[in-house]
Amino acid sequence: MRRLIARYAKECSTHLEVITVWDDEMEKEELPHDKPHIKTISHSHPAAIWFERKMHDDFGIVVEGAFDNRPLVAHERFLAKLHPMRKSFTKTSVEYADYRPYKYETVRGDGVFEVAVGPIHAGIIEPGHFHFSQAGEDILHQEVRHFYKYRAIEKMVEGKTLAQAKPIIERISGNETIAYQIALRDIMLQAANTELPESNRKYHAMLLELERTIHHLTDLGFIPNDAGFGAALSVASRFSEDARRQMHSLTGHRFGFGAIDFSSHQIDPGAMNGYIDTLEESLDFFEKWIVDIPSLWDRFDTTGILDSKKAIQYDTVGVVARASGVEIDRREERFYKEHGFEMAIQHGCDVAARFKIRLKEAKNSAKMMRNFLTKECETVKIEEIEDGEYFAYSESSIGELFMNIEIRDGVIERFFARDPSFINWQALHLMMPDNIIADFPLINKSCDLSYAGNDL
Amino acid sequence: MIRFWNRRLKSSILTENPELDEKIQTIRKNIKSEVKKKFAGSLAIRMVDSGSCNACEAECNALSNPYYDLERLGIYFVASPRHADIMLLSGLMTFNMAPHVLDAYRQIPNPKWVVILGDCPMMQAPFEKTFAIETTAKSEIPIAHHIPGCPPSPKEIIEGLLEFLQKI
Ligand code: SF4
Repeated sequence: MRRLIARYAKECSTHLEVITVWDDEMEKEELPHDKPHIKTISHSHPAAIWFERKMHDDFGIVVEGAFDNRPLVAHERFLAKLHPMRKSFTKTSVEYADYRPYKYETVRGDGVFEVAVGPIHAGIIEPGHFHFSQAGEDILHQEVRHFYKYRAIEKMVEGKTLAQAKPIIERISGNETIAYQIALRDIMLQAANTELPESNRKYHAMLLELERTIHHLTDLGFIPNDAGFGAALSVASRFSEDARRQMHSLTGHRFGFGAIDFSSHQIDPGAMNGYIDTLEESLDFFEKWIVDIPSLWDRFDTTGILDSKKAIQYDTVGVVARASGVEIDRREERFYKEHGFEMAIQHGCDVAARFKIRLKEAKNSAKMMRNFLTKECETVKIEEIEDGEYFAYSESSIGELFMNIEIRDGVIERFFARDPSFINWQALHLMMPDNIIADFPLINKSCDLSYAGNDL
Repeated sequence: MIRFWNRRLKSSILTENPELDEKIQTIRKNIKSEVKKKFAGSLAIRMVDSGSCNACEAECNALSNPYYDLERLGIYFVASPRHADIMLLSGLMTFNMAPHVLDAYRQIPNPKWVVILGDCPMMQAPFEKTFAIETTAKSEIPIAHHIPGCPPSPKEIIEGLLEFLQKI
């Protein structure tokens, strides 16, 4: 089956265009400005539904035959029919409209009740809403509702040059900033018709693996913590702090904001090698320790199952897909393989599988970082930016990131990014049935998806 | 578990910045008795994200790692605004979050303070105003203190909180 990567619209001078990106091709459909209609593809690819609902909110495109026509981004207090991605919409502030209730997906029946969680959650986490239909402790159904953090980044960067938009794009999702910067870098290189020297490419790839290491280490602590095993968090949060400090010493920033650029600089391989030694030793200790805690695996095993058939049907990517036996990773290519990339695959489809994938990938990242280590980066001249339509991918710590930028008259005409979370959030509810509501935080954490990247 | 304890015994205490311990000792002594009574010697924080990139939250989570161990200073994060003394607010104030932030603010019992975290709530991060962003947090709720940075590091957050304590 073909894999759906993204589906989105853009406005051209004479018409609207709907672009559907598959793993093997790209389809474009032209629609009139007035009363645009398209047919849904959500029956064969359920994850298309958020894309299609967003298209309606953003452009007013009517999706025929869809099983869900509720607004997605436009919440209760948004004015109806705002369609802010239309070029004719230029306002920078809007009034709150009268409250229009949102009809949640619920299961009804004797004794079935609803539990509303969020948007503000109990811990230090991003806002989003989870709506459960419960039969006692058992989850019957869950609806994920997001876009509380919707900042309209797509609109914000229109009319800017790539260089002006860079500081904004690198702050879309703080945990994935290197991945976003690498996708943007590739678009800049295409537009400037320039090649990246091998050493720069290696350095950037090393930073991406370091970002993945930080993210995985954080989760290796938080997942057991959500199963009541706090000691793992104390240990792993120390490792992730070490990794973050390493990011700071390499890039001057703890997250690597602004780290992917075209300037020349020197790298001290000795210090980095020393760090990788410690990291490998830490991971080795952590793995031997954690596999030996049976009560923890009792909670992990068979919790939050997403079987491979569903994982494929919902076009999932990243850690979630790989833990369900689906081999998808943008690093599956020559450059990465030459530097030691090994696809991490698990067939358990549960929290345990997602935990093991993270551990395996962190170890593989350590190995790759050693192979990517270079002494210096060269200056790359980005001169003329050519108008055109450019596409890029990168593999963030969550999964495959897709970015499309159209440049006209030297500035951004349309920016679109599909965070891996946008796809994976739509598969989260599939992991809920047969689990108790107390396991929801554990399941959610095992996927650790981004809210900011999803909401844009 | 043996493995864990073996390692635990080998590694010493990691917590850094002992100077902050001294600082809080002096602050504790100096805090006006009224505030001391209100906070009962500890400060409960409700963290609210109104549209951040998540880096500010990640740094707040880092406050609990063994290097910073914020709770030793008597400052801790609580699960409900109703248990909180202050709201720590991060991120842009989005159109979709603003009503919920105000809701949470109303739930905090008096006396209460709002401390904003990072450049976003003041619209000082590289983001520009769009229709989906309300103006600065300042125009929505009274702000007692601002901890700048994009994101502020864990150490800067601790220092910022201590500054705030000195101020009130
Ligand atoms: S201040 Fe910077 S780090 Fe903090 S949420 Fe805003 S963009 Fe992210």
